[in-house]
Amino acid sequence: MTNIANSEANLGAAVRSSGGRSILVARALFLAAILATWQGAVAAGLASAAFISTPAGVAQSLWHLFKHGEVLPDLGTTVLEIVIAFALSVVFGIATAVVLDRNDWLNRIVSPFLTAFNSMPRIALGPLFVLWFGIGIASKVVLAFSLGYFIMLLSTLGGLKNVDRDLLLMSRLFGASELRLFRHVRFPWALPSIFAGLKLTLIYCSAGAVIGEMIAAKSGLGVLLQSFSGRFDVAGVLALILIVALLVMALTSLLDLAERRLLEWTKGSTDVP
Amino acid sequence: MVLNATSDQESGNWPPVDISVQGLAVSFGQARYALTGVDLSVRRGEFVALIGASGCGKTTLLNVIAGLVPAAAGTVTVGGAPPAAGRADICYVLARDALLPWRTVTGNVEYGLELSGIGREERARKAASYIEKVGLLAARDLYPSRLSQGMRQRVSLARAFAVGRSLYLMDEPFSALDSQTKLVLHDHLLGLWESSGTTVVFVTHDIGEAITLADRVLVMSKMGTGVVDEIRVDLARPRSAEALQADAHYHDLYRRTWMSLKASAQ
Repeated sequence: MTNIANSEANLGAAVRSSGGRSILVARALFLAAILATWQGAVAAGLASAAFISTPAGVAQSLWHLFKHGEVLPDLGTTVLEIVIAFALSVVFGIATAVVLDRNDWLNRIVSPFLTAFNSMPRIALGPLFVLWFGIGIASKVVLAFSLGYFIMLLSTLGGLKNVDRDLLLMSRLFGASELRLFRHVRFPWALPSIFAGLKLTLIYCSAGAVIGEMIAAKSGLGVLLQSFSGRFDVAGVLALILIVALLVMALTSLLDLAERRLLEWTKGSTDVP
Repeated sequence: MVLNATSDQESGNWPPVDISVQGLAVSFGQARYALTGVDLSVRRGEFVALIGASGCGKTTLLNVIAGLVPAAAGTVTVGGAPPAAGRADICYVLARDALLPWRTVTGNVEYGLELSGIGREERARKAASYIEKVGLLAARDLYPSRLSQGMRQRVSLARAFAVGRSLYLMDEPFSALDSQTKLVLHDHLLGLWESSGTTVVFVTHDIGEAITLADRVLVMSKMGTGVVDEIRVDLARPRSAEALQADAHYHDLYRRTWMSLKASAQ
């Protein structure tokens, strides 16, 4: 039995490692094809560099942004806003979900209000947040938090609500306290949903922070975005968007790393086609 | 002589009654009783199987004994005390294996011990010994998603017997298994029970399973009025589930139980 299990595991690992290099090569080719098409379209006169810039132009803008470290204070502001909003969303989102899961009465009272607030276009509230919280980082944190909090709350609550009743019953019959039920059953059960929520929350928090800066701010990548688009500097705008995308990808890969370690058990022996 | 024999039976030589159910009634809502006038007594160290048509209330009776369902009337005592869920002397084995998917085989067997307040070292030692007893040493570091149904139930049995409680309540734990795997599981359960000396109440709808495992098979009425017949299983122990398949007396008992079950459903 273990021999079979082991050889299965080895087979999987072998496929992954030998497949790993060819996947990387394929990805590089895919990227090269996109960039070549882009550059080629402009060179052939099919599109104007004034509207879509060129890969070389974006690379040049990136180089200018980082050459003397000019972008770093703005990048720092945006990263700070994202990190604060993400941390607040995670802490308060999970805490609220735990309270609402254990308190059905409260859940039934507040859930329409939560749905109503979550249905509002928060971006449209951005100018109000600036009015209420000023043009510093507070208004951006609030805007990003107003997006991230609900994602974290709803995904955690969804995970907690569908916990396997038999696991709870079994644990209770073995004498588990409420605290242990949470630690050993409810929380691990909700963990996959929590991780799905974390990744979405990160994306929405960074969007909230950058858009908040574009409305009104003293510093941040959003401020630079506004000034570049005001000057029709397409390459500069794309370079900044690329910076945000790479930043979110880097943070997401940290989450993936944690997820792979914590959710090792979700890998079944059979792959569903 | 005769008098002596009778008094012997009534006092010392028989083990004391572990579970006593008298005049039990259970209702779900006001409309009708799920069980009425049910009497049952199980002696310490006895293996009793409850069988009956579906809807006869056998699982309900088990749940009353486990303290999961309240009695509407009658008295129920388990080890001299009223039933309560989560009591430290009762272990309930569910129909589904209820393994924690995020714990390995070892982790799952240790879970019951952990909830029973056993220290880390003793936990590891006991878990290893019970995993060996159900023949899963080679699979001890695997997650449940990698195990077959039969292996999962073996982990569930190891988890249950590792905590060493005095009463085991089992609600059709093998109903999802094929007949070959069932025989293997019966042998594992018999092995665990015979070395533990505990009381077992085992709910099933499988006649062969009831006879293979139990000292007494209690047939429950379809009307929810409790036990209508009792078949004493005088097969020698230790038993082997596989050897019993070719045993003539086993088949006599099977026939007798089947007739009784048929009568109870009419």
